[in-house]
Amino acid sequence: MRMGEPVSVARHGLRLDAAAAAALEEAAYQIRRASVEMITWGRWGHIGGSFSMAELLACLYFREMRIDPERPDWPLRDRFILSKAHGSPALYATLALRGYFPRDDLYTYCQLGGLEGHTDMTRTPGIESSGGPLGQGLSIAVGRALALRYQENRQSRVYCMLGDGELNEGQVWEAAMSAAHYHLDNLIAIVDYNKVMAKGFVWDMMRVEPMHEKWAAFGWEVIETDGHDVLAVTRALHEARHVRVTGKPIVIVAHTVKGRGVEAMEFNAKWHTHAPDPATADSVLRELARNYGRPEEGYSRAAVAHRVETFPGGN
Amino acid sequence: MAHTARADMRDIFGDTLVELGEAYPKLVVLDADLNTSSKTVKFLKRFPDRFIQVGIAEQNLMGMAAGLAAEGYVPIPSTFACFAARRACDQVSISIAYPKLNVKIPGSYAGLPTSACGASHNAIEDLAIMRSMPNMRVVDPGDHHELRAVMHAAMAHDGPVYYRITRLALPDLFDASYRFEWGKGARLRVGTDMTLAGTGMMTALCLRAADLLAASGVSAEVLHLGSIKPLDSALLIESAGKTGAVVTAENHSVLGGFGSAVTEVLAEHCPVPVLRIGVADRFVDSGGIDELFTHYRMQPADIAAAARTALDRRQQQRLTATAGSAGSRNTTHPVKENA
Repeated sequence: MRMGEPVSVARHGLRLDAAAAAALEEAAYQIRRASVEMITWGRWGHIGGSFSMAELLACLYFREMRIDPERPDWPLRDRFILSKAHGSPALYATLALRGYFPRDDLYTYCQLGGLEGHTDMTRTPGIESSGGPLGQGLSIAVGRALALRYQENRQSRVYCMLGDGELNEGQVWEAAMSAAHYHLDNLIAIVDYNKVMAKGFVWDMMRVEPMHEKWAAFGWEVIETDGHDVLAVTRALHEARHVRVTGKPIVIVAHTVKGRGVEAMEFNAKWHTHAPDPATADSVLRELARNYGRPEEGYSRAAVAHRVETFPGGN
Repeated sequence: MAHTARADMRDIFGDTLVELGEAYPKLVVLDADLNTSSKTVKFLKRFPDRFIQVGIAEQNLMGMAAGLAAEGYVPIPSTFACFAARRACDQVSISIAYPKLNVKIPGSYAGLPTSACGASHNAIEDLAIMRSMPNMRVVDPGDHHELRAVMHAAMAHDGPVYYRITRLALPDLFDASYRFEWGKGARLRVGTDMTLAGTGMMTALCLRAADLLAASGVSAEVLHLGSIKPLDSALLIESAGKTGAVVTAENHSVLGGFGSAVTEVLAEHCPVPVLRIGVADRFVDSGGIDELFTHYRMQPADIAAAARTALDRRQQQRLTATAGSAGSRNTTHPVKENA
């Protein structure tokens, strides 16, 4: 603990005690594990972008956000929009761990009638937008934030998680402009700045820097943080909610690592969209456990026959 | 609000928005810098607090509407039909239609009458685009009574709706007692020889075409199908079954829109000759409205000419069928056999 002797603080305090920090790290670990489980069983999904936001989601859903899993439509809840909807495994995992639906439901990911590959707000409790095409989420978040103002709901916040490559989309900047125009300080965007897009590094594919200056120029308060340090993330979220309320929307630029947690996946575009086979999933989960200093635990369905794709009409 | 039949459809739209604004406190209007053109300015003047300017950003316009709808508002994101359908197609589809959000999208400046804007602003593919989206309802109102009724019906429906507004005054098809029903067409003129099926402003031209046909002894039935999705299949099948020849007319491309919708129904349930009046597969020119309708062969005389062609084809088919059944009853290719 670099902040000295841990002390117990209120839920929205600036500092986490050691137990609370450990609980958040445990949540992030479980989000990663569940993401691998569901992507492997579902045979499709985005591990890299799920891993990179594990701590961000843990800190949001297990500490910062005002939510009640029993009442996903509670009017005074905080809203969360996953604009980078391909990161849905991590969000589904978070919602299941938080009690929105049973953990076993995660194994319906990408199965007919089960959890949607991206996000479908009509199908899953806790999912607040339907998405998939990048660039659409921030506009939805702006609409929701404006609606909260109409309702004179000053307690709720709207969080919107964006990818870094997603910032290539023009709609993001249309939305950014409108959020500043309407002084939406109840809107907190988070950029999961994991540096890797589907096919390569952001700076090779399409440069998004200067990140900080871009958002500032669009009229946003900018907070930069290490997106894998639960202390730093918690502090950034606290700052966004309580400190930087200045009539401007707030963006947290969270520096992260795509595929964080498993060495071969880190900063590796190959793991943007890629489902591991059961054997690989087993070794990935074992490595993850070792990296977290946990007892080694492999893929829970390693011994179960997986669905095999066939050509329509049969092979 | 009282209007003569000669009020521009945009004014009817603006006045009806105000009327709806009084009735529905959750209704909000979003505008992409076109309020004096689309006439949402009328709503702005009456309800400034419920009017949201988004600037020239149609993708964000639709996304913000989705967010507002998700919070229980009924947003009306207003822009030109070409931008609603083309520029914001993905946002309308995934942010709005996919989660079936309660957003009512008015497409202004539909089809050819756009004040000489040219290909960029003439929405001739909006019906095709919107019709292809699951959950979306699509209407091209035929007169001001219907536009007003559609706007009320859209509010009563929980889900996304797209309706067109023509930048013109349209002659009356109906009167103030008209009640709009989803998936219900109207038989405006009874006939026996052929069916003219119109949508939007083109139904008025179908009625005039029917007059031309009557003068040459052809009895044309005229249907108005404002509700394109859902479509009144029963009425179409019944009328086409009776007359055996159909011409469709739309202020839109002949690809993918109303004519396609009618043809899909008839091909599966009542295969008769169908000819489609509308813009052929091309980008359109700037020009005067009447001039454009002449140039793209969408005038009453063109509808009447298409009707005669459809009648000829029906006659040809009947002759072929008769010859086929008389010649060799068991052949699977009667046309080839008798050619």
